Amino acid sequence: MTQEKILIIVPAYNETGNVARTVQEILSLSLPLTVLVVDDGSQDSTAQEAREAGALVVSLPFNIGIGGAVQTGFQYAIEKGFSVAVQVDGDGQHDVSFLGKLIEPIRKNEVDMTIGSRFLPPFTGYRSSFVRRIGIHFFAYLISFLTGYKVTDPTSGFRAFNRKVIHIFAGEYPHDFPEPESIMVARFYDKRVKEVPVQMRKREAGHSSIRYLATLYYMLKVTSAILFNMIKQKQAGRDQ
Amino acid sequence: MTIKILTGFLAVAILVLVVELGRRRKLTFKYAIGWILISLLGLLFDVFDQLLSWTSALLGFTLPSNFIFFTLICFFIFLSLFLTIFLCQQNNRNDTMAQKIGLLEVEINELKQKKS
Repeated sequence: MTQEKILIIVPAYNETGNVARTVQEILSLSLPLTVLVVDDGSQDSTAQEAREAGALVVSLPFNIGIGGAVQTGFQYAIEKGFSVAVQVDGDGQHDVSFLGKLIEPIRKNEVDMTIGSRFLPPFTGYRSSFVRRIGIHFFAYLISFLTGYKVTDPTSGFRAFNRKVIHIFAGEYPHDFPEPESIMVARFYDKRVKEVPVQMRKREAGHSSIRYLATLYYMLKVTSAILFNMIKQKQAGRDQ
Repeated sequence: MTIKILTGFLAVAILVLVVELGRRRKLTFKYAIGWILISLLGLLFDVFDQLLSWTSALLGFTLPSNFIFFTLICFFIFLSLFLTIFLCQQNNRNDTMAQKIGLLEVEINELKQKKS
């Protein structure tokens, strides 16, 4: 089998202290890959840090949210002809040693998109806080019900995509709550989605963008956003 | 009679304001024209108020004032809906532009490096 070109998309917003380590960890894997950090209008030295660590950096002129940032990565992948893209969040939560496992089903053309799940056996590592876990399980049931996929970790941002999905997402990627919503988009275009067991870590520095107190409000918003996907019309030319 | 003067004054004030904003290039024709037409319409109803009574009676309103309130509420509901659509479109364009700028910057840097 010929070696595919793999693009690792790392969205990062004010991740000084995390992003360099993430990039170094990825680069230390012996895989033929390019690391693209999408600096989502950070005010700190995220871009510089990522560049020094050896990543290619796209700096967005202002903050457009993680969805838009990841989508920029897909657009880059299309432009440069990458056949596989992997999303790894810039906050250091994802254990990149699972990257190979994540890509494998895509390489074998078993599925079009894989999601790294921290809730699948055999792993019992870090699984987020109690309140958040409730939310995650709720969305897992909701999305599994709506899509027919077996999803346990819909908010995981550790994912791999093949060319077909990259093409769709480069043109149409949800900006509001991209992780759960993009599974809906994949279903919408009849793509094969599968979860792969991975381990995650606690955030090493900085704060997650989801606050505890707002959890219920957040859940309502995400649920409506997920359901809102059901009324969307198919866009011509997205599916190839 | 005083109410007629008051509303007439209001319509003229809007008209003058919009025209002045256009003159100062704060409003383009595309956005000014609607307001100009509306203020002219208000002026028309103000001067010929029988027209107002006639229209509201024709549509089945007991009081012309109810007709005015109904029309204005409808107008503002649709206006805000259209403004939201416009806002959403601008927001999408803004994001697309930011992405494009970011990607072009990478491309430029690559070209510069190749050159040197």
